[in-house]
Amino acid sequence: MVSVVEMPEKTSQITASGPEVRRGLIEIKQLDFAYGDHQVLHDVTLSIAPRAVTAFIGPSGCGKTTLLRCLNRMNDLIDGARITRGSVEIEGIDINAPGVDVVDLRRRVGMVFQKSNPFPKSIYDNVAYGLRIAGITKRTLIDEAVERSLRSAALWDEVKDRLHVSGYGISGGQQQRLCIARALAVEPEIILMDEPCSALDPIATAKVEELIRQLKQQYTIVIVTHNMQQAGRCSDHTAFFYLGRLIEFDGTAKIFSNPRQRQTEEYITGRFG
Amino acid sequence: MERVAASRILIPARRKSRRAQMAIEQGIKAFFGGNALVAVIVLALITIFLFREGFGFFGQNLANLQLYRQAGLEYVDIIRAVTTQHEALSRKLSEIRLREVRSLEKRNAAPDEINAALAPFDQFASGFSDTAENLHGLVSDLTEQASALKEQLAAGNNSGSETALRALRERGATFESVSAEMTASVSNLMATAPALPDTAEQKSFDQWKIAVRDYLAGFPVASKKLREWSADEPIPWYRSLSSFLFGREWVTASFWQDWYGIVPLLVGSVMVSIVALVIAVPLGVASAIYVSEVASRHEKRLIKPYIEFISAIPSVVLGFFGIAVVGQAIRAASQSSLFKWVSFFPISERLNIFTAGCLLALMAVPTIFTLAEDALRNVPRGFKEASYALGANRLQTIARVIVPASLSGIVSAVLLGLGRVIGETMVVLLCAGNRIAIPDFSQGLGAVFQPVHTMTGIIAQEMGEVVRGSTHYRALFMVGLVLFTITLGINWLAQRFVARFRMSVG
Amino acid sequence: MNDEARMTNVEGMTNDETASNAGSPSSFVIRHSSFGRGRFLEALTFWIFRLATYLILAAATYIFLDIGIKGGRTVFTRTAPFINVAFLSQAPQTLYVFDFAGKKMTLGDREFRDWKSVHPGVEVEATSVAYSAGGIWPCIVGTALLVIGSMALALGIGISSAIYLSEYSRNGPLIRLVRIAILNLAGVPSIVFGLFGFGLFVIFFGWNVSLIAGWFTLGLMVLPAIITASEESLRAVPQGLREGSLALGASKWQTIRKNVLPYALPGILTSSILGIARVAGETAPIMFTAAYAMKDEMPWQVARFTDFFFQGVMALPYHIYVVSSKIPQNEYTERVQYGSAFVFLFLVMLIALTSIVLRERSRSRLSW
Repeated sequence: MVSVVEMPEKTSQITASGPEVRRGLIEIKQLDFAYGDHQVLHDVTLSIAPRAVTAFIGPSGCGKTTLLRCLNRMNDLIDGARITRGSVEIEGIDINAPGVDVVDLRRRVGMVFQKSNPFPKSIYDNVAYGLRIAGITKRTLIDEAVERSLRSAALWDEVKDRLHVSGYGISGGQQQRLCIARALAVEPEIILMDEPCSALDPIATAKVEELIRQLKQQYTIVIVTHNMQQAGRCSDHTAFFYLGRLIEFDGTAKIFSNPRQRQTEEYITGRFG
Repeated sequence: MERVAASRILIPARRKSRRAQMAIEQGIKAFFGGNALVAVIVLALITIFLFREGFGFFGQNLANLQLYRQAGLEYVDIIRAVTTQHEALSRKLSEIRLREVRSLEKRNAAPDEINAALAPFDQFASGFSDTAENLHGLVSDLTEQASALKEQLAAGNNSGSETALRALRERGATFESVSAEMTASVSNLMATAPALPDTAEQKSFDQWKIAVRDYLAGFPVASKKLREWSADEPIPWYRSLSSFLFGREWVTASFWQDWYGIVPLLVGSVMVSIVALVIAVPLGVASAIYVSEVASRHEKRLIKPYIEFISAIPSVVLGFFGIAVVGQAIRAASQSSLFKWVSFFPISERLNIFTAGCLLALMAVPTIFTLAEDALRNVPRGFKEASYALGANRLQTIARVIVPASLSGIVSAVLLGLGRVIGETMVVLLCAGNRIAIPDFSQGLGAVFQPVHTMTGIIAQEMGEVVRGSTHYRALFMVGLVLFTITLGINWLAQRFVARFRMSVG
Repeated sequence: MNDEARMTNVEGMTNDETASNAGSPSSFVIRHSSFGRGRFLEALTFWIFRLATYLILAAATYIFLDIGIKGGRTVFTRTAPFINVAFLSQAPQTLYVFDFAGKKMTLGDREFRDWKSVHPGVEVEATSVAYSAGGIWPCIVGTALLVIGSMALALGIGISSAIYLSEYSRNGPLIRLVRIAILNLAGVPSIVFGLFGFGLFVIFFGWNVSLIAGWFTLGLMVLPAIITASEESLRAVPQGLREGSLALGASKWQTIRKNVLPYALPGILTSSILGIARVAGETAPIMFTAAYAMKDEMPWQVARFTDFFFQGVMALPYHIYVVSSKIPQNEYTERVQYGSAFVFLFLVMLIALTSIVLRERSRSRLSW
């Protein structure tokens, strides 16, 4: 199983050489993050390109989900969780600055969760929720947006006849795509996906992956995944994390064919993790 | 698959300014926070207020005890104790007589015969009670003097208290001569003590004689106490607390001296709770096991809501039911020939510890049942299945696996049941008999059929009539505080057990 | 059980223990070694448990039947409208019992005065029994007022506090302490709350025995239970729903209002109704804060508006206490004793039943 893995001596040196992203949509700079006294992210510097899929991979507990949740400040909800150093900038704005409206941020940075979490409402209401929250009341607008979002999430044909059944009344894969549709409805610029396929069967997974490939033409997507094949299949860039550090970040093809770090190679070839 | 619309114009920029939006959110948070704060402050206030009102008791009670000494009440009570003992001895004599009459009746003696047979004894008894005549006179004189002095001192008038005290002590000093006289007359009387026809009674009469001898021997002790007594001796501060916690008398609004001893009330509460739990725990736990492990689905669906339904019966209705039905039924049962063999039956009071305990048991059962059933149901299936897989039958599985696994949950259920019982007011107020006395434990189990007063009952009964700020008022707050502390302790313990249960089950 | 019993009988093994000892060289045979004693013991124990369970049910049923039948005699009538309107709509009165012209007369206060004016100069030896004539209308009204006021208070503060504790507060040591304190206060006896209410509201604030003192006392009494139960229902709403909503750009309040409260509401409602049952059923806290044994005016017969809040009221539970402890038990008092107990029990049970039914229904509907 796990061979002894030595820690890289100079992390910053490694992270400096990323893929060729001149100016990322999201710039993570020297980020340290802690839950209470327990530091989970160490000095992460990363730049995420627009209209591309960036995958975070790494063994469990390496901090990839935490990093993802930093991008829309979802960690604010967790007691004692805080950024201890560094910054996250989206389009040049530090999202943790005091003046930033977190509600607005989250509208622009959508999120799909590991466990599909449709609201106990009808499918229609699930998708319309974000719009209504945003103050849109015009029925025709909402109808259009719901249809558009469901089509984008490749769910429309499957549910168009039962838009008013509960969001829990459809299969797991459909539920996850419903959650994606829900996120799309509010027209975010960035979509964060936290292991969106971990609870799905292979067929549903394939559908979601296909969807991700479609969506990247419009959206910037960051996806956390356990599944290296998945990262290989649908991402443009891949970042490998280990024990809270960014070990390697590069184009997906490069990482999977010719990683620079031994740890990355070992992980990718299944020697540990 | 269709393309996502390129335009992102659907959601307009937020209409309200960001600042206003934030202000609204903050306002809402402040509103809820404010409410929470109010709740917390008010609940803290309850505790603080209870303590504030209660702790005033100590100073006042100390003053009360000091007055007791300064006015010479304590002095008088030394002699009064001697009188009380004498009365107790006289009462014993009449008890002996009563039993004697009964045993004679059993031998079919006519009433005239009985009276004739007991004439010497009666003469002796009345002679004995006469011996204390002078003593009674002395006590009543002293009582008058001391009461007057107390009134004067309580009004804040200290002038002439010295003289009054001296007068009191002079009169009190006659105790020595009175007691000497009494010793002589009692000894004379004892020499002429008649014999009793019944040997058993003769035996208790002999015991009585020994008691009298002890009693006479106590005179010098009392005299010594009187001589050594001093009105100026200060009362230690802790006496105020110890007289509350260990005081065996709760006497209020008395012309003589008020005592605030919580022991009779505490004993009452505890006795009632014990009876209630002795009934409720087996019933509650057994039914919990039955419902969670044995009963069919249909039974479950009927029994569970029904038992929970019982917990909603208002306590005052139960109390009324106790007065109207249960008390009467218990007394009637105790009179029936079925229970002839029970030594302390028939009982005289229909409202007693047992009556209240029975009704409280019915109040505790739903609590115990619901929580214990919860604990049993939450034992992981795996435990059960593992036990069956090893070839255990249902009973073995229940006794060796399920109950032990949920034991701390069951214990906490019992504790919460106890908390409910000990804090219950109306049932004990209506059904416990409300006699402020420690039950006579010499009867053994019969003590359970005596009336008592309880901590909750005394508050409910006396609170409406006290003067605000008086020692009595504060004493009731102290009782409330004791109750508060006990229930908090029980609750806390119960939660500890629940936590342990969660840990063990995982 | 039967199957196994049959099997053993076929095998002819009715003897009890130790037949199958583990070391026996016999082939693999399923034996029921402990048939006799083990099975019997199991059945016996279960029967004892069953008996215990049904004993509880029987005791409760007996109470319901006793009060239902004897109280029903007061509350219902044989003729239309089948309900004793007078009992439910009149104030309590003193009952006068006397012999007149060889007949036993039992008249209420007002009737007795009327009778006297009709028979001037007739002197009768009347025994009076307090509270035993008339009805209990003011008590019902008083209890309703007490419940409405105190529940409004407790629900307003309680649910808001629960929302704050579960949704807004950070889980620091202070909040934990507050939570433990609230949990523990829920177990404090009602009489202690009564004592507190008497000391603070009645005496310290000088409100005297009044509706408002009762509201605060009862409201504070159920407050811990309401907070605890509401918070529990709020916490039972999965975190995913909150995150999902927030990730869509909903503000905190929008999330709570649209995506948390609606799903917590059944639970909150259930506990609230249970709180109503408790508030309505308690006697000890109102004995010396809000309840009068007897009052001639109805609560709305007040001179000034503010007097409404500062008046004592009659309350059903206190009335039951008074009629069961302050007047003797005899054929004249049974009517009002059982009648009041019946009406009160009926009302409280109705509330409790609502809560139980509601919970069973919401339990089966909402699950995630």
